[in-house]
Amino acid sequence: MSRRRAAVDLNFLFINILNGVVYGAFLLLTSLGLSLVFGLGRVVNFAHGALYAMGGYALIAVMHAGGAGYWLALVAAPLLVIPIAIVIERATIDPIRHRPDVDTLLVTFGLSSIIVGAIEYVWGTGTTLLPAPAPFAGTVNVLGNQYPLYRLIAALVSLLVSVGVFATIAFTPVGLRIRAITDDAGMAQALGVNIKRLLTLVFGFAAGLAALAGALAAPIFAIHPEMGMNILIDSFLVVVLGGLGSLTGSAIGAFFVALTKSLGGGYFAEWSTAFLFLIVAAALIVRPTGVFGRGRVA
Amino acid sequence: MKDEARARRLTSLLIVAGAALLALLPFVGVAPFTITLLTEALIFAVWAMSLDLMTGYAGMLTFGHAAGFGLGGYAAGYFAREVTGDFLASLLVSELVVLPAALAIGFVVTRLSGAAFAIVSLCIAQVLFQIAVAWRSVTDGMDGLVGVPLPTLLGVTVHNGNQLYLLTLLVAAMLCLGLRQLVASPFGRTLGAIRANADRAAAIGIDVRLHKWLVFAISWAIAGVAGTLMVFMKGGTTPMSLHWIESGNVLIMAIFGGLGTLFGPIIGAVAFVFLRDAFTSGFAVWQLAFGIVFVVVVLIFPSGLAGVVSRSWMLLWQARS
Repeated sequence: MSRRRAAVDLNFLFINILNGVVYGAFLLLTSLGLSLVFGLGRVVNFAHGALYAMGGYALIAVMHAGGAGYWLALVAAPLLVIPIAIVIERATIDPIRHRPDVDTLLVTFGLSSIIVGAIEYVWGTGTTLLPAPAPFAGTVNVLGNQYPLYRLIAALVSLLVSVGVFATIAFTPVGLRIRAITDDAGMAQALGVNIKRLLTLVFGFAAGLAALAGALAAPIFAIHPEMGMNILIDSFLVVVLGGLGSLTGSAIGAFFVALTKSLGGGYFAEWSTAFLFLIVAAALIVRPTGVFGRGRVA
Repeated sequence: MKDEARARRLTSLLIVAGAALLALLPFVGVAPFTITLLTEALIFAVWAMSLDLMTGYAGMLTFGHAAGFGLGGYAAGYFAREVTGDFLASLLVSELVVLPAALAIGFVVTRLSGAAFAIVSLCIAQVLFQIAVAWRSVTDGMDGLVGVPLPTLLGVTVHNGNQLYLLTLLVAAMLCLGLRQLVASPFGRTLGAIRANADRAAAIGIDVRLHKWLVFAISWAIAGVAGTLMVFMKGGTTPMSLHWIESGNVLIMAIFGGLGTLFGPIIGAVAFVFLRDAFTSGFAVWQLAFGIVFVVVVLIFPSGLAGVVSRSWMLLWQARS
């Protein structure tokens, strides 16, 4: 009897870990964009969650209006969001880059409100549920548990894209310029890097990552105008824990935060989030630059 | 120096005159609904002033200012419901909860500055939010604390509407006078030095952490007063009073009015409440309009409405002489 109970407990633990890994993959995608934008332009982007929501709505817009299938829409959603983000960056963030960091933080806070408000204006405040897309609609047997197949596929896609981001930054000429700006923007500019253009491009690219995450997550978490708010807060925790601007830190932070949330949520219900915030606050006090960060915070 | 003293007296006079003018409103036929909105605006004004002290005067940007407000509201509301609705007693109990919490939390978080401080302040408010949701036996969880009685002042029941408005006005005016005194004092001037450059302030012998710690505690304490007033006005509170969206709202009020100015947060709070009311025909439209106004203010008028006013005033002054 007790052995069976132990098996059930173990199973519960396993499912929670699996859920944590899936959520961690999404968080990785969103926090990479957040971290990149901060690392380059020292912009704390409060609109990142709204861009994530924009991805979800771009997905259903393409599916409903264009009659496209899920996978085509998944590719189209970030491509629709990127130009919008680039226009936003040029119009509102670029003109105030010379001001204190606080100003860009405030502008992105306002932008977030505009985007969420616009979504509610066009699509209403309702929740849209999306079925898991065609070849992966069923469940799969994972160690005796029926687990939705799409979750695993979506996590896999997120991880592959994240690896792609890391590879781009580590091995391509653009990545080299990005690293140069992160290290020393003034010196990079002196050596001929077009900072203004690159900052705009990276902002658009980060928005694309957020939009992709939103579209990928749509069949799992459902679509509603405020869908980006929780993931924004969690992504903040990730980049703060990992060190603002540190991509490796973000990767470790994403899974730490996601696993803490899903494991804690399984056993301690709502107390787990409070616990997570306490951990992050404590970590920041011990290491103000983030656990894995090297640079300065502010 | 003499000019400064005169300006200070003039400001005090302005506060008293403004409060007296506002106190006349219920007696000249202003609609009850407008009075309710004004009450809410004054409570927000107190809250925004407390944020301004921390963010505008001492340069500590906070994204978690709902913490002191919500905590004070819960403490006062719980006490009023369980023991007595006496306003002063509830206020005292509220401060007995908020002040030690602020001193304990502030002692730790004032080690940080800049973006780290902003984010940790958000984390702390979120912790309180989660506790309010989870600790059902005291807070009733997401349903919120309900059934808070009408406040009594010296044994007289303060009814919603004109009476509560006048009480709120009295508290707000007293706090405004107190803050004016505080920011003009040597302590207030030291805050300006810390905001301008904390390292240099430390180099000339200012205990930066001590000052930040005290400002943090004072700011939370005033936010707690606002929370107490709000819990009596609404007859209850919910975890949403601790939510980071509320922290964003109060930040916007102070910035909209003008950080680092005495009257800015008051103007910002009044503008916020009346603009929101004008736009609430559809929530989406409000949020959209709110975002647009916000972005435009930060982009074009970074010093807020008070900045616009004082700049126009300066131009007028120059044109005259």
